[in-house]
Amino acid sequence: MRAIAKLRSLSEVTDQLLRSDYSAEISKLPREEVDSVRLERIFLKTLVERYFTLARDARGKAREFIETFATRIEVENLKRILRAKHAKEKIEEHNLMPLGREYTLVNFPALMKAENIDEVASLLRETVYASIGERLDTYARTGLPTILESFLDVTYFGRVWEKLGRLPDRKDLEWLIGEEIDLRNLQLIFTLKMRDVAPRLIEELSIPIFYRLRNSIIRRLVQGGLDDAPGILAGTSYDSLADEILRKTKEPAANLEALIIRRLYQDASSALGNLFLEFGYVVSYLLVCEREAKDLVTITTALDLGISEDELQRRLVF
Amino acid sequence: MSASGRAAVSRGVLLRLREQLEFTKKGQELLKMKRDHLASETNKLLSKVAERKRLDDKIMQAYKSLKAAYLSLGYSGLESQASTVSKMTVRVRPRSIMGVMVPEMLVENVAKVSAVSSPSAYQAASELNGLMEDLIKLAEAESRIESIAYELMMTNRKVNALERVLIPGLLELIRYVEGRLEEESLEEFFRAKRVKQIIRGQES
Repeated sequence: MRAIAKLRSLSEVTDQLLRSDYSAEISKLPREEVDSVRLERIFLKTLVERYFTLARDARGKAREFIETFATRIEVENLKRILRAKHAKEKIEEHNLMPLGREYTLVNFPALMKAENIDEVASLLRETVYASIGERLDTYARTGLPTILESFLDVTYFGRVWEKLGRLPDRKDLEWLIGEEIDLRNLQLIFTLKMRDVAPRLIEELSIPIFYRLRNSIIRRLVQGGLDDAPGILAGTSYDSLADEILRKTKEPAANLEALIIRRLYQDASSALGNLFLEFGYVVSYLLVCEREAKDLVTITTALDLGISEDELQRRLVF
Repeated sequence: MSASGRAAVSRGVLLRLREQLEFTKKGQELLKMKRDHLASETNKLLSKVAERKRLDDKIMQAYKSLKAAYLSLGYSGLESQASTVSKMTVRVRPRSIMGVMVPEMLVENVAKVSAVSSPSAYQAASELNGLMEDLIKLAEAESRIESIAYELMMTNRKVNALERVLIPGLLELIRYVEGRLEEESLEEFFRAKRVKQIIRGQES
């Protein structure tokens, strides 16, 4: 990845990727049509294929777990639809992550055609996201699609956590998923605190699964000021992260996501090295695939935007 | 061409020339007032245009945040976040400043970025949104300056033409007509005197 990041044109990157898993899709693209938007789609499509190839090959509870874990793509697409409907914008297939119809029970074509968020909520009535309707009042009151997006996260992680509980050997996997939940909660709290959202609402929106961040810590983070966060997180495994986000970074809001994602994928990489014979290896592999796709998107976008090599190298997780 | 070459000489012409001079001087005064007003308007606008440097720095900062958001979310992710931003509407209507038509831009709806959920996209959106009104004001000031500067140049030319060509020409013409009329009246006076002398000589 570092070597690819050193290349200075999209055509060089494409040549390099023709020797990888991405070659089948990239070779279908006429050379003059190669651009970062098309490449991004290819990276995401390959990621989706990787998720579902693993799910197909698994059996029993492991298969159930991977299938549930892979619904993060479905959730991301639902978020995109909700955002578009919030702004009464049209949304089409190419605006979504390339998720095949065979991989989801959600009727995305109907959702894309929905007039508004209420219609989206009614179309989701027969799915696992049925209770999104309960958040519509709060959404209508605040006008923030974050309310609905966070509901999707709560549902997603709730389901993943529940499936995880059914797996026999889950300790290491619990660490991976638990850390992701904690990191998502931290991101949500920091983001909403930066915008002065009411503490009660932030608490309502956070994922009610407490792994290393106990409920009391979450509450203190929500009630306290942003400057207090590193102190509140002292002693947890996130103190250095909070310190980096809130004290060492010049623009916390702009770098928050990148730093949190970096931490998540670093965890996945270390798990990939340590959990060789366990089921956690599979999940960490999927997270590393996700990281690879994100890094490739970052590289091609950076080439398009003329970002310097140093800046790009700093942005990459690898 | 000298004034004497083209002017018919009579009291009526002199009166008309004086009226024309008075009218031209009034016109010159009005044009000078217009010029001063346009100049002061330009001065006011120049202070707004001087903000450009500060705005340039802010734009660079906002683009930096935008690039960071692109790198974090990719094109499709950022596009999705951007779709939640409500549209900004601006109305442009013409306005007259001393007869010069300039655009007036009115921001009718400010874009709302509060619905953006990603922190990096929110940062970029709020920085860019904060700049939009200033950018519109700057664009308005720049296009006004362009129109006003052209009109100022034309007015200046007109004032100069009146001051250096038309009014001195009229004054010269009036002086010439006055001189000719004086000569004619002297000639008439001497002619009358001579006629009187001849008549008196014949009588004696």
